[in-house]
Amino acid sequence: MSQLQSNAAEDLINANERWARDVIKHDPNFFKDSATYPQRPKVLWIGCSDSRVPASVVTASMPGDIFTHTNIANQFHSFDDNANSVLSYAVDPVGVKHVVLVGHSVCGGAQAAIQAAEEGPVEPHNPLTRWLVPLIQLVRTLDLHGLPENEAVDKVVEANVLKQVENICLSEPIVSAWATGNNVSVHGWVYDLATGRIRELVVRSPPRANL
Amino acid sequence: MMSHEPIQTLLNANEEWAQKVIKDTPDFFTQSATGQSPKILWFGCSDSRVPESVITASKPGDIFVHRNIANQFHLNDDSALSVLTYAVKVVGVEHVVLVGHTNCGGAAACLKAAEDAAADTGAPQPDTPLTRWLSPLIALVKSLDLSACSASEALDKVVQTNVITQVDNICNSEPITTVWADPNAKKVTVHGWVYDLARGHIDELVFREAQA
Repeated sequence: MSQLQSNAAEDLINANERWARDVIKHDPNFFKDSATYPQRPKVLWIGCSDSRVPASVVTASMPGDIFTHTNIANQFHSFDDNANSVLSYAVDPVGVKHVVLVGHSVCGGAQAAIQAAEEGPVEPHNPLTRWLVPLIQLVRTLDLHGLPENEAVDKVVEANVLKQVENICLSEPIVSAWATGNNVSVHGWVYDLATGRIRELVVRSPPRANL
Repeated sequence: MMSHEPIQTLLNANEEWAQKVIKDTPDFFTQSATGQSPKILWFGCSDSRVPESVITASKPGDIFVHRNIANQFHLNDDSALSVLTYAVKVVGVEHVVLVGHTNCGGAAACLKAAEDAAADTGAPQPDTPLTRWLSPLIALVKSLDLSACSASEALDKVVQTNVITQVDNICNSEPITTVWADPNAKKVTVHGWVYDLARGHIDELVFREAQA
């Protein structure tokens, strides 16, 4: 580690060391077991890279609970190998039974998309602007006239969650799972930064699941 | 009947957690909603056993994060590139940590695929998002000499070489080369780490800074 900087990265490693010691104190076999047995999380979380929405912290989960994928504005693009490979691997072989797509209030990606939609069509010139094109297109379909900024962002965040849930339900891993009786359910959630609470917007299940 | 018990458990745990945070720090969430300024961007694996904020005892607001299968950073992947761009140019992180881990299923799958290809026992690989996603790592595995390694040594070597390769990719990306070339820009350091599942410990393999 670089000697010259007292730095956040070093702090992280020190915090990890303390955390690991604490865990061992309470459960001496925790790490050994973690390394010996394959992971068996029941949940895949697809969320935003935003530092304020760490999946396992806001759900008080332990290592082993949640398979996780995060990106700018919690997108699931049908043409994105990154997210699609995560979903595919999570359903099989990992065997998750629930996919949660989690948006959040005050999302910087949503704010950027609203601004870009107002500015009119622009040739995307870098990975970030290309990444946001589908979200900008979604924003253009919404009526945000007269809404104060935070309400406009909330409306975009919710529409985005519903849209990404739809994309996930149309993906090959989910379509195949449902066709073969693997009843993975897909949930759309919004995490409210101002209250720390998760709210479920929608849940989708196979059309003819046994109830 | 489909069990939503894991979901209800998460939602209940979230409610309890939120209440506890408010009791300890009444303005934590209202403050959080006003903005983020994490110092760290974490590129890691989607593996459920490596939740970055839990294993570093971090709070919301500390770590900007991207996790995918086998902690890859591909220079043609808009997902990871847009995260890096946003984190460096908009959020202003100071450290990018690329974190691999022992017992990585993605790395193990690539080892097997390379072995199958060498023995010519595998059927031709189907073209799926997962096989496409792992093809750079399979190519990396094929370039290694693992003949003297036991199975677990081979996996460890793949995990470590993967970390160093992804760090190289990050250092060659536009957001990093740009910030390193700018004498007025904030200092950004790129680190390669491995999280050892059996010990719960993070070990640093390598770090890179702008050339003076």
